[in-house]
Amino acid sequence: MAKLKMKYLEIIVPVDESKRIFDYLQHRSVIELKKHDETEGLYALNSGRTPAQLEKFCDVANDALGILNKYVPESKGLISSFFSEPEELTEKEFNERAEKADSVLALCYEICELERKAAESLTAAAKHNALRDGLEPWLNLDLPLNFRGTDSSSVFIGTLPSDFSEEALKTALAEKLEDGIPAVEVISHSKERSCIFAACHSSEKDNVFGALRELGFAYAAESESGIPAEKSREFEAATLSCKAEADESRNKIISLAERREDIRFACDYFAMRKEKYESLNLISSTQNVILIEGYVIENKVDNLVKNLEKNFNAAVTVSSTEDDEDAPTAFENKPFAAAVESITAMYSMPGKNDVDPNPVMSIFYYLLFGIMLSDAGYGLLMALGCGFAKFKLKPKGKMKKTVDMYFWCGLATIFWGALFGSWFGDLPNVIATRFLGREPLSVALWFEPVQDPMKLLLFSFLFGIIHLFAGVGISFYQMWKQGSKLGAVCDCIPVYMLIIGICPLAVGIMKPDAAIPPIVKTIGTYLLAAGAILIVLTAGRSSKNIIGKLGLGLYGLYNAASGWLGDILSYSRLLALGLCTGVIATVINTLGTIPENPTVRLILFIPVFIFGHIVNMAINLIGTYVHTNRLQYVEFFGKFYEGGGRSFTPLAANTKFFKFKED
Amino acid sequence: MTTFLGAVLAILGGVLAAVCGGVGSAIAVGRVGRAAAGVVTEDPSKFGKVLILQILPGTQGLYGFLIAFLLFNQIGLISGDIAALQAIEPLKGLMYLCACLPMAIGGFVSAIHQGNAAIAGVGIVAKKPEESGKAIIFAAMVETYAVLALLISILAVFGIK
Repeated sequence: MAKLKMKYLEIIVPVDESKRIFDYLQHRSVIELKKHDETEGLYALNSGRTPAQLEKFCDVANDALGILNKYVPESKGLISSFFSEPEELTEKEFNERAEKADSVLALCYEICELERKAAESLTAAAKHNALRDGLEPWLNLDLPLNFRGTDSSSVFIGTLPSDFSEEALKTALAEKLEDGIPAVEVISHSKERSCIFAACHSSEKDNVFGALRELGFAYAAESESGIPAEKSREFEAATLSCKAEADESRNKIISLAERREDIRFACDYFAMRKEKYESLNLISSTQNVILIEGYVIENKVDNLVKNLEKNFNAAVTVSSTEDDEDAPTAFENKPFAAAVESITAMYSMPGKNDVDPNPVMSIFYYLLFGIMLSDAGYGLLMALGCGFAKFKLKPKGKMKKTVDMYFWCGLATIFWGALFGSWFGDLPNVIATRFLGREPLSVALWFEPVQDPMKLLLFSFLFGIIHLFAGVGISFYQMWKQGSKLGAVCDCIPVYMLIIGICPLAVGIMKPDAAIPPIVKTIGTYLLAAGAILIVLTAGRSSKNIIGKLGLGLYGLYNAASGWLGDILSYSRLLALGLCTGVIATVINTLGTIPENPTVRLILFIPVFIFGHIVNMAINLIGTYVHTNRLQYVEFFGKFYEGGGRSFTPLAANTKFFKFKED
Repeated sequence: MTTFLGAVLAILGGVLAAVCGGVGSAIAVGRVGRAAAGVVTEDPSKFGKVLILQILPGTQGLYGFLIAFLLFNQIGLISGDIAALQAIEPLKGLMYLCACLPMAIGGFVSAIHQGNAAIAGVGIVAKKPEESGKAIIFAAMVETYAVLALLISILAVFGIK
């Protein structure tokens, strides 16, 4: 139920057991390695394969898996793949599979190579196809395109940049050539160009060429020798054979799909090896022994030491980490509080003197989330969805905590929504008045915020004060535990007095019609004054001289007053976001029930209701999540939390597709 | 003509809130969207994370809409109550107009700046996707002022009787 204590372990084993013990530690994921400070006489362990090499292997395996999944998609639902369970392997099964890993790697290379070949064949097919398309206009020509004539004749094969029929071309040439026109033939013509053939005696070559040039003649691409129709058939055959090659490569890949499990294992295996070799430089070694050092969670130490001494020829020293600033931290909480661990971790892991904030934070997190989303209908959807996910799909680890968190947030939202009478906005009222023809009704168990926003604003501030007081309470506890008892009393108690004292006065100003007994106001005034004086007297206790004490004291009072004012006002977002959800939900219901005709109204209402509320819920979920986090980080954590800790990251098998069975 | 002056002023206020909030959000969401698209071209798997950042500065438009709706509902524009609209004194209409100004101005300015913070956040997601939570918080800090503007406008609109 708190931050876990760490122990520091030093393990010494003979060099010949180094590989075995390293694998053992990695598979158990219990120890976070740390490099030994003294390096004299010690050297880093050397390994044959480098991490870079292993990373390459890992990439190849992942690529191969991606290629397989492209051609043979796995028949798995989206949701179940999200929650999919890694396969459990025993040490023995792992070793059996690991022996095959190198051959699987060869297979992965083969798959990548086949994919590359398939892609190349497809490119070649496309190229041949394009060449064939280029010959299309020339199919009726029975000469090679680069034919230029014989000894006594000149032949022009090429294109003109406009549309010519044979008649038009002859007319155009006749205008330019007085001595008679050459033999011409238009092979094909379209709007953009005409493909023509012209032949003349070689003595007239220059004249004819000049005339043609004036019309924009250009020789056809010279590279292709051969009759166009024949070449076209050749290209077509080449296209088909390239496509067949691509298909063949693909079919080979598809036939390898049954090895998917092996490839998955290889992905994890090489990722694991990579991690292992990256950590090797944290280990020191002499000629005969290696030294492994690192942090282990306290409650796992005994078991680990026992197993190490049983299975290995190892000497283990355990020491405390009390004064170690660098020791990592880890949380262990009941599910209710564990659900918000990731929220805390996103801010910062607790520092050396921090307590675990999660148990206290979790309650406030759910309640504040609930006030801001504040619609029982949305809460119900969240709780049902997460409840279903919890019991049906049985998520593990981080996913479980996230689902848990939204489940509890959903329940809190139902609670507040019911108090404020908001079920999908004013749905009960809309059904009663617009569909059943009854009187307007309110289902609020407490009151509707829209009717009296000032009241909820004051309550928002009250919830804020309770939240902040809890934070100050934790700060008191931390200081007291560290032995700074005077500091705990001086820093926390006067603040409580000041804020409690100011409440009746502030309520009196903000809500004049609230009946506050005069005696409460009087007590409040005295509390406020006493708190203020205490702060002035104690906040400057670190200063040596009297003027410094007074100055720091006044500054402390100013800080307390302005800081707390800002912090408390910040909780007005509870009202604002709550109203936002409720009012927009009501707008959606209003829009859906505009038509007067009851049947049309019902037909319109259903799609508007479904679409509108999904959008509203999504937008408000994001807003609520963000603002709940903010209230925890800035206001709540600001009161006591130092942070700056480091998360416990053991040498582990960070595998995706399988995991080791606990023994 | 003069009988509707109050109503016109009040409606102008609501329109300002909705338009300024909407325009600010549109500009900001558009800008973040451009930055986000750049990240997604490199790594499509980050779509979800940048999408949240893109949506964040969109709330100002929603808040502006909310104020406009609350106001229109209160003065009887939604239900089409002509008598109620006519009954709004010019001075009261002006009060409604003023009540909407915090949301209009605060919403517009905060949307644009929240958008800028979100764009910087997209940069965080691109380089360190595991820290995307922090990127969201940075952008959300700006939203505080939109929420405060919303709140003061709501209280003012409800307060004018």
